[in-house]
Amino acid sequence: MSIAIPARGRRGRRRRTGPAVRIGGWLVWLFVILDIGLLLWTFTSSLRGNSDIMNHPFGLPGSPKFGNYAKALSDGGFGRAALNSVFTSVASSAVVIAVASPCAYVLARRRTRTSSFLSMMFVLGLGVPLQVLVIPLFIGLSKVNLTDSLYGLILVYVGLAMPFTVYLLTGFFAGVPAVLEEAAVLDGAGPVRTFLSVIVPVARGGITTAFLLQIISAWNETLFALVLLHSQDKITLPVALVNFLSTEQYDGQDWGVLFAGVCIILAPMLALFSWLGSRIIQGMTVGIGK
Amino acid sequence: MTAQVTQSPRIGRARGDSLRRARRSEGPLERQHRRTFWPFAAPALLFYLVLFIAPIAFAAYTSFYKWDGLSPMSNRGLNNYRILWRDPVFHTALTNTLKILIVGGVVTFVIALGLTMILREMNRGLFARSVLFFPTLVNAMVFGIAAGFLFSPSGPVDQVLHALGWQTPPQWLSTENIFPMVMGTLIWTSTGFYTAIIMAGVDQIPQYLYEAAELDGCNAWQRFRHVTLPMAWEVISVCAVLWTVSSVNIFQLILVFGGSNSNLPPADSWNTALYVYGEAFPQSSAPELGLATAAAMVALLLVAVITILLRRLMRRERIEY
Repeated sequence: MSIAIPARGRRGRRRRTGPAVRIGGWLVWLFVILDIGLLLWTFTSSLRGNSDIMNHPFGLPGSPKFGNYAKALSDGGFGRAALNSVFTSVASSAVVIAVASPCAYVLARRRTRTSSFLSMMFVLGLGVPLQVLVIPLFIGLSKVNLTDSLYGLILVYVGLAMPFTVYLLTGFFAGVPAVLEEAAVLDGAGPVRTFLSVIVPVARGGITTAFLLQIISAWNETLFALVLLHSQDKITLPVALVNFLSTEQYDGQDWGVLFAGVCIILAPMLALFSWLGSRIIQGMTVGIGK
Repeated sequence: MTAQVTQSPRIGRARGDSLRRARRSEGPLERQHRRTFWPFAAPALLFYLVLFIAPIAFAAYTSFYKWDGLSPMSNRGLNNYRILWRDPVFHTALTNTLKILIVGGVVTFVIALGLTMILREMNRGLFARSVLFFPTLVNAMVFGIAAGFLFSPSGPVDQVLHALGWQTPPQWLSTENIFPMVMGTLIWTSTGFYTAIIMAGVDQIPQYLYEAAELDGCNAWQRFRHVTLPMAWEVISVCAVLWTVSSVNIFQLILVFGGSNSNLPPADSWNTALYVYGEAFPQSSAPELGLATAAAMVALLLVAVITILLRRLMRRERIEY
C-alpha cells in the first residue's frame, strides 16, 4: 500500500523531462508491450493447430482449438498434475504458516541473545543454494519411504520455506504494537489465546502475504519435484511439463498442446497476480528490502 | 559453522545473565513471552534442523566419500575436490555460474537502475512496474520453451529478421550459443523483479530532496546520481546479495532451454546446479553422490565468499532521513 499512496499525490505535478528520459520512457513501454505480447501470443498459440503455428507464428486462431487443452489434460497428464500441484502448494503453505508464525512471533518479541542467535540462523539459511540440499534430502526421504510421494514433497517444501517465511514474518510481527497483547495478558488470556485472537488478526495482512509467496514458490518449484517424483499419478505440473517435452522429442513437437500445458501452469499465477498483485509485489519488495 | 560453535558458550552465559536481570523487573507480558519462547519456537526449529541444517551437514560429510547411494561409502578424503579441480565439465559449470553471477548481475542491475531512474521520472509508472514484475512469478521453463520456439532455425525471429533484410541470422540455438541465450532470457525476466525492489526503496525517499535538487538545477541523471543512488544504496546492496543466491539456484531454465534431444542439455551450458543434478541422477552411468555433493559445497562456498565480499565492498554509512 505504501507504494500506491505517495504516487497519487504526485500525479498532478508536471516535471520538466529531457529527451533522454522521454526515450527511456518509450523503452520502458517497449519492454512492457513485449512482455504482454509474449503472454498473449502464448495464449493464442495454445488454441491453434500445430501446422498453423509453424506456418504463421503470429497469426490468430481461426476457430479456437480447445482440443489442445483436452489433449494436454488427459494425454499429457496435466490434469492429474494440476490437482497434485494445487494440493502440494496449498498444504505446504498452510503447514509453513502454522509452524513458522509462532516462531517468528516469539523471535520478534523476545530480545535475548538466544533469540537473536536463532534469528541469525534462519537468516543464514537464506544463502544456501538448493543444490546442496537436494541429494541429502533425496537420500533421507528414501530411507523413510517418502520419495515418489506428495507428502514427502510437502515436507521438503516446508523445510525449504522455513528461513524465508520466519524472516519475513518476524518483520511483520515486529510491527504489531505490544500494547494490544499487554491488555490481553492483563485480562488473563493465555499465550495461545493471546497469539491466536490478538496477534494473528492484527498481523493478518503479513500472514496472507507470506502464505501467497509460499504458494507461488511451491507452484513453480521444479528441481525437488523432478528428483523426488516419478509415478505418472504423483507428479506436479513442472514435472509434467518436462516429461511432456522429452516424450515430444521423439515423435515431433506438437506446439499447440505444449503451449496449452504452459498456459495451465501460467494461468493461476496470472489470476493470482491480477487479483492480489500489489500485495505480492509489496511482500516481495518491502519485506525483502527491510 | 566455526563461528557459531565458538560463540555458543559465551551466548549461554550472557543469556543466563540477561535472564536473571530480566526476571527481577519483568512484567506479566515479558514473563509470558519468556515462558512461551521455546514452545512457540520449537516446531519451526525442529523442521529447520531436520530438513535444512542436517542435510547441509550430511552433504558436507558425503563430499569426502565415494558413494553411489547403494554400496557402502568409501572415504576419499579431499579427492572429490581434486577430481572437480581437474574436471573440464566442472570448470565450464563453475565458469558459467560465475558468468551468470557477475556478467548477468552487472547487466541486470545496470538495466534495473536505468529503469528505476526512468520510472521515477514518469510518475513511478505503477502499471509498467507490475507488468515488468510478472515474469518473476512464472516458472522459468516457460521462457525456455517460448525461446526454443521463437528462435528455432527459420522460426519466427529468423523470419522477422529476413523481412528486415538480415539474410544470415546467427544459429541461435547451436551448442555454443545456448548459454548466451540463457543469460539473455535470465536478464530479461529478472530485471523487473530487481527494479520493483529498488523502486520500493526509492518510494521511501522524501520528495523534498528531489525538489531541492531540481531547484539547484539538477537534470534527471544528476538527480539519480546524487539523490536516488546514495539514498537507495542499502536496498541495492540487499538486492546484490539476493541476486548472488538466486543466480546460483538457476536450474530449470537451463534444463529445458532450446529443447535438446537428450534429457540433459549439452554440458557447455551447465551451471553447478546442473552439474550436481547430472552427477547425482545420471541417465546411464552410476551416480557419483560424493562428487556431486562436493560440487554443491563449492557452490555454497562461492555464495558465502561473494556475499561477504559484497557486504564489505558495498558498505556505506547509513543515511538517516
